[in-house]
Amino acid sequence: MIVEVLAILLGTAFLMLALNKFPKIAGTIAFFVSLLPFLAVLSWAGQMGINIPSYLNLLHFESMATYNLGAGSLLLEITPLGWFFLLLLASLFPMVMLYSVSFVRENAGGFYAAMLMTMLGTFGIILAKDMLTFFLFWEIMSWSIFALVLRGHDRRAIVSYLAFGSMSAMLILFGFMILYYDTDTLLFAHMHLAPTRLNLVALSMIVAGFAVKGALMPMHVWAPHAYSKSEEPFVAFLSGGLSKLGYFGMMLFMYSVAGMGLLASWGTFRDVSWFGYSLAVVGAFTAFAGTILAVMQDDLRKLLAYSSIGQLGYIAIGMGIGTPLAITGALFQALNHTFFKAVLFLAAGAVYYRTGKWKISELGGLGYRMPFTFLASLFAIFALAGIPITSGFAAKWLLYEAAIEKKFLFVTPIMLIAGVGAFLYAYKILYGVFLGEPRYDVKEAPLGQLVAMWILVLPLVIFLVFPGWVADMAAPILKEYGMQAIPHTPFVITTSLGVYNTLAVIFGIIGTLLLALVLYKWKPQEVVPHEDNYLAGEPPELYENISMHAAYKYYEPFEEVFLPYFRSGAEKLWEVVLYAGEILGTGARKIYTGMVEDYTMYILLFFIILIGWWLLW
Amino acid sequence: MVDFFALGEQILVMAFLVTLGYAIGMFFNGFARKITARIHNRVGPPIYQGYIDVFKLFGKKTNISHGWIFDLAALFSIAGITLVFLFLPVAGFSMLSTDGDLFLILYLLAIPALGFALGAGASGNPNAAVGIMRALMTMLAYELPLVMVIVAMMVHYNTTSLAGIVAAQSNMHWAIFLPVFLIGAIVADMALQGMLMEKPFDIPIAPHEIATGPMVEFGGKHLGALMLYKMMGIVVETTLFVDLFLGGGVILSVAQYGWLAYVVNFLVWFGLITFVFFLALLINAVFPRFRIEQALKFYWKYDALVALLILIWIFVEVST
Repeated sequence: MIVEVLAILLGTAFLMLALNKFPKIAGTIAFFVSLLPFLAVLSWAGQMGINIPSYLNLLHFESMATYNLGAGSLLLEITPLGWFFLLLLASLFPMVMLYSVSFVRENAGGFYAAMLMTMLGTFGIILAKDMLTFFLFWEIMSWSIFALVLRGHDRRAIVSYLAFGSMSAMLILFGFMILYYDTDTLLFAHMHLAPTRLNLVALSMIVAGFAVKGALMPMHVWAPHAYSKSEEPFVAFLSGGLSKLGYFGMMLFMYSVAGMGLLASWGTFRDVSWFGYSLAVVGAFTAFAGTILAVMQDDLRKLLAYSSIGQLGYIAIGMGIGTPLAITGALFQALNHTFFKAVLFLAAGAVYYRTGKWKISELGGLGYRMPFTFLASLFAIFALAGIPITSGFAAKWLLYEAAIEKKFLFVTPIMLIAGVGAFLYAYKILYGVFLGEPRYDVKEAPLGQLVAMWILVLPLVIFLVFPGWVADMAAPILKEYGMQAIPHTPFVITTSLGVYNTLAVIFGIIGTLLLALVLYKWKPQEVVPHEDNYLAGEPPELYENISMHAAYKYYEPFEEVFLPYFRSGAEKLWEVVLYAGEILGTGARKIYTGMVEDYTMYILLFFIILIGWWLLW
Repeated sequence: MVDFFALGEQILVMAFLVTLGYAIGMFFNGFARKITARIHNRVGPPIYQGYIDVFKLFGKKTNISHGWIFDLAALFSIAGITLVFLFLPVAGFSMLSTDGDLFLILYLLAIPALGFALGAGASGNPNAAVGIMRALMTMLAYELPLVMVIVAMMVHYNTTSLAGIVAAQSNMHWAIFLPVFLIGAIVADMALQGMLMEKPFDIPIAPHEIATGPMVEFGGKHLGALMLYKMMGIVVETTLFVDLFLGGGVILSVAQYGWLAYVVNFLVWFGLITFVFFLALLINAVFPRFRIEQALKFYWKYDALVALLILIWIFVEVST
């Protein structure tokens, strides 16, 4: 059954190329095909112990099997971990496609074909049962992303994606090779890694490789360029969806393949393995630095890109700490990030679609013109900042609790201050784009785009009311790792340190809002036009060309303080690596002198060493 | 089955406490102006000026709005700050504080702030935008030392719940009596000065530079709502400080003394928050204003450095 889905995705991708001239038709077909992975996810819900109404189970995928492809075989299987990540990606994907129908005009066939191929790759990665299948689909996904990045026509984005993508693939491949050397098997289930130093190197390489896709610092260099120079629906899927594959891979190899015991065998710190602790520290640094950098951006897409990097850092923290609480928190954060970041990128795309501007300082006052886009992004921003009106808070709360539970005195304040920093850039988006002086007389975004955004807002509301459902989804994953699920009911999550009762918050908000409404509605009010403020309806003519929108260099004092520390960023670090590589390469080139006698000497030397070694052994 | 009688009783008690909280907040407004005036050797307004102002503003016949996003400020600021108050243990009495913890309170505090910021931004006045920028940066500045101290306290008391921290300080085991948290209280009091937006950290309002910043376009009931927010904010923030370091003002145990304990504890709590606010007023009355980057440097360099010492202290404490 599953191969049929893969085949349909592949076939439709080719069909899209043929339909290049008819973007709307291609988009509609692609949208309907993109629903298939989501239906597949739903049909597996029963296996994961999650009951869904039977009318949602259309495909009836119950069992998985091996498929022979030529000489080799394609081994696919659904695991609880895979199911969770597939749920995120497969529910995001159709909405992105729906949005694209009204957004993508230029060479649309190519766009849809590459998008479907990324989904094909994703599907394979998540279902892979062995390293070979995993890597095969990983490459399909990576190269399809490259095709989509190419469409941005930005040299920096293309080159950096290519460089880091190849580096990631190489790191992963080398790691796989070492693991295969050690265990003599490709199947994840059969790998029993020994606590050797070689395996530590292999695991570190694999995690570093996945960190590229997950945009962890210092492997994030490609992300701001690629996120900010490609088409918005794709970026929404790349940032919201595909970046999770990096974390899926990390989790798969750290906890499913290697396991807690093995990680702990390389040393622990307060019952957290050093391996995981380092990942958590890198994650905390990423969360902090990504946030600071996001505050300084003026390009809306760059701001969202850095904010995305910062928010992904939280997932790494949770995965690093690796307690049931932390893993649940990491999965919850992954879920939230998928939806809020997608909504924000899509809203940015909708703003661009109407105004043709990316710079925050050139936008402004769109809140009253595009109210539904504004409200959708407001919800997404609440989730991003962790305000308890959306599900964003529960994820951050779980991660903070996990860090305090392990008494991480230095990581926790960094996480918390990064959370406060998120308010800064969140307000920059809100004010710069949607509030302030109205400067564009534009219409609301097209219906397709609005529907896509609002459907993606839904999970943020649903999981506000039922945070326990995420704990339910995390339970089978934790069970696989031999851990207990965190104590929870649908509404209340309890930890050893505190309680989060979402009903108290929701009813509290409703109650206090009613109180505020009563106070507020006591006296009538009149709504006056925007110019009727301190200017008394007469903006001075002298200043007609001067904007009253204060968004240009909004956080200037902030930049003055922080920019000196962030000027020599990660790119400088990689330049050093590049320079070292150049020196090594130049040295190595000197071996090739082009003289036959030198080469004869090399061969002779080689044999002498070989014989000598053989004699001495 | 839900016990409607108990629920109703709880809601009535909460309504009473919220009313009391607002009454204290309004009193604080007049109190602050009177104290500042006396320090400046002026006569100053009567001590009940806060009540007069709020009732006047809510009684205005013409109220000017700039649209529905502008109105969000009034709604969110009152709703948000009341909600935070409900989640705080007040004089050891918990309304909703067993349903959420200190992290929730820290994030709930952002609801009124962001709602206020939305409305101020929607007014389209550049002064308001600059004021919000300053407010957010001040927040970033004072939050770092504050969260460092809070994290140290959470690890020390091994709970994230504010009610738990208050309970751990019962029988007069107040945190401030421990040397490490005496330093912590000083650090947090500095942060409180920024939180209350008193000088030298009144950068966001800065009446002489940006014409009261965020509040510049608000009038009538909108301004009334924001005044209520600010007044309740003082109660909430000082209560947070008192809960953290001064045992929430609990000196008699309820189990032992019954209703007498409630009355005494409430009086002690009121005395303590008044004292904490009074300290802030004294600093406010004599200091000039920092520039924003000076405030950031003050908090991140000096205040956070001391907070770092506290973290190291607690780190040693848990490691041994």
